[in-house]
Amino acid sequence: MKMSSAVIEPNLKDRFRQLLRDPLLLITLIILWGLLGLFILVPLIKLFARTFEEGGQFTLSNVIGILGDPNQRQALWNSLLLGSLVGLCGTALGFLFAYTAVRTNLPKAWTLFLDASIILPLISPPFTTAIAMIFSFGPRGLITYDLLGIKGFTVYGLHGTLFSETITYFPIAYLTLKAIIAGIDPNIEDMAFSLGSSRRRVFRTITLPLTVPGLANSFLLLFAASLADFATPLILAGNSFPVLPTQAYLQITGLFDLKGGAVLSFVLLVPAFLVFLLQRFWVSRKYYVTISGKVGAQTQIKSVSPWAKFLLLGLCLFISAFIFYFYVLLFYASIVQAFGANFQMTLKHYRVVFTEGLKAIRDTLIIAGVGMPLGGIYAVILGYLVSKKSFPSRQSMEIVSMINYSLPGTIVGIAYLLFFNDPPFLLTGTAIIIIACYVFRYGPTGIRTTVAILQQIDPSIEEASYSLGAGSGTTFRRITMPLILPAFFAGLGVVFIRSMTAISATIFLISINWTLITVRILEKMTELELGVAAAFSILVVLIVFVVITAISMVLRLFRQPGSPDMANILGG
Amino acid sequence: MEAVKIRLENISKTFLHRVKGEVSAVNQVSFDVQPGEFLTMLGPSGCGKTTTLRMIAGFERPDKGRIFIGEEDVTDLMANQRNIGFVFQNYALFPHLSVFENVAYGLKVKGMERTPIEKSVTDVLNLVGLKGFERQFPHQLSGGEQQRVALARAVVIQPRVLLFDEPLSNLDAKLRVYMRGEIRRLQKTLSITAVYVTHDQEEAMAVSDHIAVMNEGRIIQIGTAEQLYLKPDSPFVAQFIGKINVFPAEIKAIANNQVTLQLFKKEYQVSRGSHHVKSGEKINIFVRPETIILTEPSDEGALKATIVERVFLGEKVDYLIQLDGHLVNATSYDPLRQGSFSPNQEVGIRFHPEAIQILKEERKRD
Repeated sequence: MKMSSAVIEPNLKDRFRQLLRDPLLLITLIILWGLLGLFILVPLIKLFARTFEEGGQFTLSNVIGILGDPNQRQALWNSLLLGSLVGLCGTALGFLFAYTAVRTNLPKAWTLFLDASIILPLISPPFTTAIAMIFSFGPRGLITYDLLGIKGFTVYGLHGTLFSETITYFPIAYLTLKAIIAGIDPNIEDMAFSLGSSRRRVFRTITLPLTVPGLANSFLLLFAASLADFATPLILAGNSFPVLPTQAYLQITGLFDLKGGAVLSFVLLVPAFLVFLLQRFWVSRKYYVTISGKVGAQTQIKSVSPWAKFLLLGLCLFISAFIFYFYVLLFYASIVQAFGANFQMTLKHYRVVFTEGLKAIRDTLIIAGVGMPLGGIYAVILGYLVSKKSFPSRQSMEIVSMINYSLPGTIVGIAYLLFFNDPPFLLTGTAIIIIACYVFRYGPTGIRTTVAILQQIDPSIEEASYSLGAGSGTTFRRITMPLILPAFFAGLGVVFIRSMTAISATIFLISINWTLITVRILEKMTELELGVAAAFSILVVLIVFVVITAISMVLRLFRQPGSPDMANILGG
Repeated sequence: MEAVKIRLENISKTFLHRVKGEVSAVNQVSFDVQPGEFLTMLGPSGCGKTTTLRMIAGFERPDKGRIFIGEEDVTDLMANQRNIGFVFQNYALFPHLSVFENVAYGLKVKGMERTPIEKSVTDVLNLVGLKGFERQFPHQLSGGEQQRVALARAVVIQPRVLLFDEPLSNLDAKLRVYMRGEIRRLQKTLSITAVYVTHDQEEAMAVSDHIAVMNEGRIIQIGTAEQLYLKPDSPFVAQFIGKINVFPAEIKAIANNQVTLQLFKKEYQVSRGSHHVKSGEKINIFVRPETIILTEPSDEGALKATIVERVFLGEKVDYLIQLDGHLVNATSYDPLRQGSFSPNQEVGIRFHPEAIQILKEERKRD
């Protein structure tokens, strides 16, 4: 009889007793809960307190005040509208790419090309597409002004923001949907063909319905990403299209109104939390296909007719080419005097980057370098505990660890700003606060990878080690640890990449002592030194690319069944 | 190493199921495995056989009862203190270690020196026919090869007992037959006590000295394959091992150990067996398909019946026969003489009195 550990658990009393017998576990749990409390729960509570408290009294007046302001109400509405549109467009684009990649028997080279164009937006600092948008469609834009000769075209507003965010975030939809479509056994489609369906009918009645949960999930992911995005609207939304994250930022940095920022970010939290709940408790239960499921006998995929294949591929290539064009443009802008006016080659932007920008580069690398191992260790330990150990508060620990990851960065940043501004935890102005922000915000990707890998490791592998005479220490060191090493490196990679590219939370946490490349990019954009901003962006893309390649090579070294793909980790 | 005995005394184990609450997986199981014996626990899914095996291994702790390996009470010992060899259903090879390192793992854990490890691993890989595979990794091996690595890894530490949890269920049919022979040979070569779990009765019969048939957490009967097949002591065992017909009959008279019973309006003198019956009682009797004799319809002393279905299987022919409102399964191993009946044809049926068994549901013990 097979008793799966998911179904059978010792009761609560046994778990407490077990805990007392294992002092190492107990101490680890106390430390972890301390950290989770300090860096996730208490700052959030502080944010709530600021929102709902006035002179020691509970009040709704702050929230009502914000919602009463037509400007802010417009910002809320705009955020929701933008999120929904990005969700729809990004999912459609992601589906197009995923379906083409999985269902058209593309030669390997084409798939690589598509994958590369999808990786680029994932590893870029914010503003990258925004800058390229301005270069292309701005007042003196290469496409609108030079190519099409349109005068007075304005890129700022809903359409520009939507376009830029769709390009930035559709890779998330692609990665989600690719896994789902690849998990649909082609034999099911063959079955429908054999029952007399046409290609169109198979797509409409079989493939698409099976993908629906994935589409819903992808929509929610993109909605959340857009809701949280602070950088793109800051550059492209303009005055006519305010959204919540930028409003909160301006409230704090422009008006020095911490309370107003807190209340605005609370308003942002409500839809973000709803999306989180929907995703966790509704969509995740609707999956028909298990991704790891064994696909039946090999079959030639016939669900796409030759002309449809060319059409799909053509569309994908067009979009991919457009993305590459953005990056070429960015590079070009970084090596000319002034894009749009003076196209003479120069290295002066890079000179700025490596002189006055050097401190930001150094700070960013130090923060990323310190955060990386901490994030990796945190992810592996917490992931191991919640999936392999049975202790009271196991499930709540897993959920709490995901909070900062799921919330828009603006909320996390403001919560940190509020809480770590006063003793006893006066961390404002230190590197610690930025590092902690990254570890607890991006560590969860590593946690999820650890959990996913551990779920694929059959418990009998550890039992085999025990039966051969090894104790639990030896088993962890010789068997479990090597097997979850890929998750450790994945955790490292994600924390590093996000440390290089994130801005929404940390913009509130930088100081004279510690600044970040992404913040310098924003400053250069507002100072209209677009060439320098482009040079900084190129530098970040290069650093991240080198680190990703290194980590992918390490991962390949440990290539085992179940070890994840770097690209898939980035999407999560 | 001297083969040792395994002894289970009143082992019980309950699990807490999220939906069903407390579930009794193993209920007061006791048995002995003699030194060098190969015992198989056989039963349907969920009968508690794997849980029992895992308790012998030390992966689960019994709620009640004691387990002995040799003279030692191992009930409170962890799996890594018991010195057992365990072969898992999915082999549970360490995916990040080569074949050599997989097999050497247990020896390294024991702190053995490099040179003797190399010798032991080489010897055992020769023994299971995997010479030259040392540097391969598990994912590069076929199912049968992985199985051999799992075997080698379990026996190289010279365990006191060998435990197998459905080790062949992931192999294809032909390989399964071959590997079970390998396992039996290996166990005999090493003359080591072994406990084996399977739900495949043919496999159980092929490898075991004794078979323990389990159902619903209890041992129903322990015996050799022949005893279980020919002399089952319960309807469950009779129906679980091989195919068997069940017919209603009535006890007419009892004399000494002989019973006169009426079956399809004919009277037969059969052995009473170990069950308590009384005159006039209506009971079920059990008859194996291959003991039923088919004759020509002209046979005066035979029952008249009609063939419903005929399935030719090479070495035998299976018939489904309509007899007096009942369906009878009959098997003929002599197609030349008894294999020529076709559907709708009239046929004569004779029962061997020695082949008729009286079996009754055991009175519940609790």
